[in-house]
Amino acid sequence: MSELFADDPEWADVVPIRQYENVNPIAPIFYSEEYKDATDYFRGIIKTGEMSPRVLKLTEKIIRMNPAHYTAWQHRYKTLIAIKADLEEELRLMDVIATQFMKTYQVWHHRRLLLTAINSVDVAVLELDFLRDVLKLDTKNYHTWSYRQWILAHFNNETRLWARERAYAEQLLDADVRNNSAWHHRFFVVFSSGVRLGDEDREQVLRRELSYAKEKIALAPNNLSVWNYLRGVLEFTDTPFETLTSFVEPYTASRRLASGEEVLDLDNPLPSEKAELPCVAALEFMADIYEKRAGDAIAKAVEIWRSLADERDVMRKKYWEYRIRDALQKA
Amino acid sequence: MGSALDIPLHVKYIQSLGENKDDLVYHLTAHLRLNAVYWGLTALCVMKHKDALDRDEMVEFVMSCWDDEAGAFGAHPDHDAHLLSTLSAIQILVMQDALDRVDVPRIVKYILSLQQPSGVFAGDAFGEIDTRFLYCAVNALSLLGHLHELDVEKTVGYIRRCRNFDGGFGAREGAESHAAQVWVCVAALAILDKLDEVDVDTLAWWLAERQLPSGGLNGRPEKLEDVCYSHWVLSSLSILKKLHWINADKLIAFILSAQDLEHGGIADRPGDQADVFHTIFGVAGLSLLGYPGLDDLDPVYCMPAGLIESKGLRKDWEALPRKTSP
Repeated sequence: MSELFADDPEWADVVPIRQYENVNPIAPIFYSEEYKDATDYFRGIIKTGEMSPRVLKLTEKIIRMNPAHYTAWQHRYKTLIAIKADLEEELRLMDVIATQFMKTYQVWHHRRLLLTAINSVDVAVLELDFLRDVLKLDTKNYHTWSYRQWILAHFNNETRLWARERAYAEQLLDADVRNNSAWHHRFFVVFSSGVRLGDEDREQVLRRELSYAKEKIALAPNNLSVWNYLRGVLEFTDTPFETLTSFVEPYTASRRLASGEEVLDLDNPLPSEKAELPCVAALEFMADIYEKRAGDAIAKAVEIWRSLADERDVMRKKYWEYRIRDALQKA
Repeated sequence: MGSALDIPLHVKYIQSLGENKDDLVYHLTAHLRLNAVYWGLTALCVMKHKDALDRDEMVEFVMSCWDDEAGAFGAHPDHDAHLLSTLSAIQILVMQDALDRVDVPRIVKYILSLQQPSGVFAGDAFGEIDTRFLYCAVNALSLLGHLHELDVEKTVGYIRRCRNFDGGFGAREGAESHAAQVWVCVAALAILDKLDEVDVDTLAWWLAERQLPSGGLNGRPEKLEDVCYSHWVLSSLSILKKLHWINADKLIAFILSAQDLEHGGIADRPGDQADVFHTIFGVAGLSLLGYPGLDDLDPVYCMPAGLIESKGLRKDWEALPRKTSP
């Protein structure tokens, strides 16, 4: 049973247009029969400007074979609008394609166009739920995350959209503390896109975020994402790095304190049993504290940078030597 | 000891890309065709084998991608115009000294028409926005000599809003920092002489942290290394004049180990299949790192440095000195 449009009587009125033939191309294309057939008919309806239900079938077929065919997407969207198709039904139809081709830009842009046209918070809520399913398959998918961020900013609904986001980021970080996308999302939700409902007490928010970051550092200190997050929070709130000295110090030691030596301090969780010490990021942080203290502390910073250059982070030797030169120059 | 860069093999690989293929993958990438030609040509230029592909044939192919309705270039004949392919077309024509074939005012109009009220650029009429397209617009206008028509403050304003807490930049406002997006933002700022928008120390440090124990670079924390980041991360560092913060020897070894020494080309990482995308970016990285036998690459435009300099477009970037032997 042929699946070709050429053999389908419903398409007999359309004149298929072959890929250009007269030019001797430097980059020739060789088609599979089905793809050739579909795109021949696509060129045919582009020429006549047809926008109809059967065009939806045609573009769907092309997209399933080649999700990056941006002209097919464009024409599909124009057709959906022109024939006043049910856009929510379109979203559901596209769910499978989004999941299958989640690394393709066009898939996400199409959904964004649909969300914009539908313009409903109810649908946005459903969409955020759908994205959770997609992110389960690829927790760091860049397109999916930035699309999620767009939905939140665009509809900007505190109670129905923003409200569950911090918890969502937390859920993902509990599953994988090294998920940089989730850390970024947390910062986006808590700090860089306005004040969330319930977060009006900024002092309390700061305490909460610092506590959360520390807890995650204790769990797995050698994790760039959480240290970047911590620094970001401190800089955003103009909180001196110095205030974290007691917390960071144990992470700069070569070994964990033997049990019995440690004092339980809830504000300053100690490195977990499995933590590899000393932690390079903690050493870096400590050196920054010393550098900011200036005066006699510069020598201590230099000592740390020296150890990083020569032993702890030799890959970035030139960077650490730059820090030494730079600090001594300013001193 | 490790391998050397097998230039003749990679040149053959690039030449073979236009040939007979039953490969389904080949035709499914028609939407990338013009970009692929640009990647191939640039790689050949850096490897000093520019003439390995026929110039006239290439120019005709580029012109066959002209979308007369839009006044710009699509990725393939009969494909709608797009900023990505329009930039590639202009870059190829500049490298082939054939820019006179182009209707400059029409293209400028097309490019400017894609700027959104927020300052970002859409890629085409479909409306997808991304800082990649902003870079394409800025680069293209610059090569065409029409940068003065751009609303610089509006454009820079958008980039500024894409700056994240880690000093990096994302694809859109609110999006996570990613090395490729960092490069397009930093390179666009370089062309616009607005690098003061960058927190250089923080961003350069974030970029240096992309280097993993294997010597390869990743695009964001806790992700895998990939040869293409050798271009985006290195070019960014080169523009910020901190390229020496990368361990050059280890990265060179990583890139070389990703070569396909049987069929030619470079892959995303050792053992994977080569493609022209990773070939140019691997070669670009090696050039910036001073690998011997290669020509200089301009990290702002990702085109031969000598050519960009001759057009008076060279910005203040630094690559590592070219070694005379590996």
